[in-house]
Amino acid sequence: MTHYSKETIADLVAGQLPWPQTKRIMSAYKDEARFFTYLSVLQSRVAWRDKILLPISEHLFIVDNNNGRVTKCECGHSFGDYKKNWKLKANISVRNTEKSLREIYPNSDIPDPNWMEIREFLCPSCGHLHEVEACAPGYPIVHDFEPDLEGFYRDWLKQPLAKK
Amino acid sequence: MLKKNTPLKDRLEESERLMKSTGCYDGVTELQLRNQDPLKFETLHTKLRSACVSAREMARRISASPGVREVGEMVVAIYTPEGDAIALSNGIMVHVHTMSRFLKWMIKEGYENDPGINPGDIFANNDAFIGTVQVPDVMDVIPIFHEGELVAWAGAVCHELEAGGITPGGDVCLAQERFTEGLFVCAEKIGSNDKIRRDYVIRCERNLRMPIYWVLDEKAKVASCISMRESVLEVINEVGVDFWKQLIKEFIEEGRRGQLLRTQQLTVPGIYRGHTFYGHVTEGKPGFQPLGEPNWLYNIPVELTITSGGKMIMDFEGTQPWGYHSMNCTPAGMDGGMFVTLTQHMNFEGLVNDGAWMATELKLPKGTWTNPDNEMCATATSWALLLPAYGVFQRLLSRGFLARGFVEEVFVGQVNSPMIEMGGTSQYGTPFGMAHFECAAAGSGALAIKDGLDTAYVGWNPESDMGNIEIWEQSMPMVYIGRSIVPNSGGAGKFRGGCSFVSTWLISKTDHLRLVTSEHSSRVFDNAGMCGGYPAPTCQKHRATRNSDIKARAKKRLPLPHSPGIDPKKSDLEKLLKGKHITEEGPYITAPHKEGDVFTHSYNGGGGFGDVLQRDPVKTAWDVTNGFMTREAALKIYGIVLGVDLETGDFKADFKKTVTLRRNMRAKRLKQSQPVSKWMASEKKRVAALKFVPEVKRMYAAAIKLSPRFEKEFKAFWSLNKNFQIKM
Repeated sequence: MTHYSKETIADLVAGQLPWPQTKRIMSAYKDEARFFTYLSVLQSRVAWRDKILLPISEHLFIVDNNNGRVTKCECGHSFGDYKKNWKLKANISVRNTEKSLREIYPNSDIPDPNWMEIREFLCPSCGHLHEVEACAPGYPIVHDFEPDLEGFYRDWLKQPLAKK
Repeated sequence: MLKKNTPLKDRLEESERLMKSTGCYDGVTELQLRNQDPLKFETLHTKLRSACVSAREMARRISASPGVREVGEMVVAIYTPEGDAIALSNGIMVHVHTMSRFLKWMIKEGYENDPGINPGDIFANNDAFIGTVQVPDVMDVIPIFHEGELVAWAGAVCHELEAGGITPGGDVCLAQERFTEGLFVCAEKIGSNDKIRRDYVIRCERNLRMPIYWVLDEKAKVASCISMRESVLEVINEVGVDFWKQLIKEFIEEGRRGQLLRTQQLTVPGIYRGHTFYGHVTEGKPGFQPLGEPNWLYNIPVELTITSGGKMIMDFEGTQPWGYHSMNCTPAGMDGGMFVTLTQHMNFEGLVNDGAWMATELKLPKGTWTNPDNEMCATATSWALLLPAYGVFQRLLSRGFLARGFVEEVFVGQVNSPMIEMGGTSQYGTPFGMAHFECAAAGSGALAIKDGLDTAYVGWNPESDMGNIEIWEQSMPMVYIGRSIVPNSGGAGKFRGGCSFVSTWLISKTDHLRLVTSEHSSRVFDNAGMCGGYPAPTCQKHRATRNSDIKARAKKRLPLPHSPGIDPKKSDLEKLLKGKHITEEGPYITAPHKEGDVFTHSYNGGGGFGDVLQRDPVKTAWDVTNGFMTREAALKIYGIVLGVDLETGDFKADFKKTVTLRRNMRAKRLKQSQPVSKWMASEKKRVAALKFVPEVKRMYAAAIKLSPRFEKEFKAFWSLNKNFQIKM
């Protein structure tokens, strides 16, 4: 049975594990304990105590807290009920002019802002850039991920969550 | 078990009935052989896989095509009598399942009775509505008989570099209907007694610009099929035919179960969503018939549901209709896209076969480009939309990997890698035609733990390879004057996307060279980043110079351009050469080129992962030193201040200044942003008033016309009046 220490997974998640070791992990059978080791790594990384139930982006987590299950930024900012699209509670910056697109693409050909814009979704507290959408103007904001959280814990992990 | 020599059609129908009634492949509810002797079970599958790999390698040495020899555009596989893949080689695995469709089509059409399926027969197909992706993907299959009973099939596919269409090459850009795509072989018996028919070869020779590629590839494919046939018969002689019949069913059922388990092991159940776009601009371009609107913006929304049983259901509801262009895709092609993606991300070990595909479901709305309701439409460049679509699938899967903690598997996905096709008079003075396949080495999307692969990945062939310059130069009247990394071509992010390359050629020893490009998105990015990463810049334009003074400059030993450079407003060609300068967006379709002209063509990089302000300054200094990124990008996008090491001349990061700059950039971007709710309130007015350019309006109108769900969700999101309509 494959197993890795918390330190190894922490380095892997941080992108700091040496490549030969990373490649061995990629080629090996997957470690069954990974999910909970991963949660433990993430929990040690954050400055707050709410229990992380599921990461949904690099620095965004579904957590258990006094207000129920919410989506939370690594900085501690809460985006509210995890079942709702966190992006609707974020800050947005839209690049839909040649000038603003050039800031990200200084040396390349850029899209026609009449056909496509870039939307940046930021944490209103820390300013972390959580997600970028590239889409036609007027396109509805995407709800990236609606996990079946209860089903995941109950059926796949065999550790049902307490009722909220 | 069915009686010996039960008609194939009956066997197939029974197999499908059993799958439906038991939920298991061919009704195999218990893996008896596997449970009896797992080692023997695995060894036999490995033996078949080795037979496939070795047959493909042998065949590549027979082929004359640099696409097959150099780049490996070939795959072979062994199938059950009903046409399900048991084992396959490496290579363009997208076709393992499309070939399965071809076999089933022949069985359902009663080929056993007419034209008959006999030992030594050879059948070929490149009709996407029967089972392939596009016209250049020509597949050959042979039946394998044991003591008069059909016990398996062997099949092989090569991507042909010339298909005889309205424009030269294989990905026939200008095809707007099936009738201009080139030479079709529609599930045809092309040979018997292991020999390809002479009249078929003559048809190929008289309908292709470069028949040597196609015809020798046919011979290579037949040779590989015969090699696999011998290997299968060896196995049957070893284990007995009844054991074989049970074994191959269990292989597939094991593959199906393995896929479901792997989904449960690597992901999280739920609904995943994403989208991408593609811009097709043909306005004013010569050759396009006015059959539809000249410019088309394609939205490609994808919704992936992972059920608690581990099944993956992918839905393309809300995408655009098929059109009079070459980018439509058939369900066979869509299946193939799913299959090749699964082999790369989830089935990298274990029993890789059609079982994995059976654990998935595709919802392809009728009438859209994913499932055209008109079989006369063209599919010659299906990849233009297929690759971006499966790039979305890769990001959706990766969201699951990330949530589950398998960060080493997170991959921002594939991109289009635009192809250049050519024809006319070769450097030897002979007629020729060819697709240049160096496109099989784009940049990959980033990973969650490292930058993407530079010039080393395409979605359709996990063994990506651009081929050697010297080999390509033997096959076309152009010589390379540059093949360079494109700085900043990887999407920006904490981990950037892999960079692409650009080639620059001098047209040589010809007065008639037609150059055409395809799979080239205009005005929009056809990829995306993930977790804060940006899309790669995939709407590059072509730069060319006609009647250049390059030879005179060379004589005078003046500097020559080796790439378009890093100034999008004035290329190095314009800066260094005299002549007629051309900047062209989208498909490159112009009058023939001739000796002395210079042409450039760039491929695409992949999307980025993570917030740019978290990128490692040391890695970035290395990137700038080695030409993967410009100093300007490092400063403006990433907030990384670089100095120069006076001893080595390399760039090095100034950490202190970087920390300060990044702090300011973070504050600035927060200040410039606004709450989404506020933005939505103002944006809603624009949407309600339809203040969009015609192409965007047409995109919404077309999506709404085909999909009541898209309409409902669109109106609900913007809180639009229920009477809201888009009139064109």
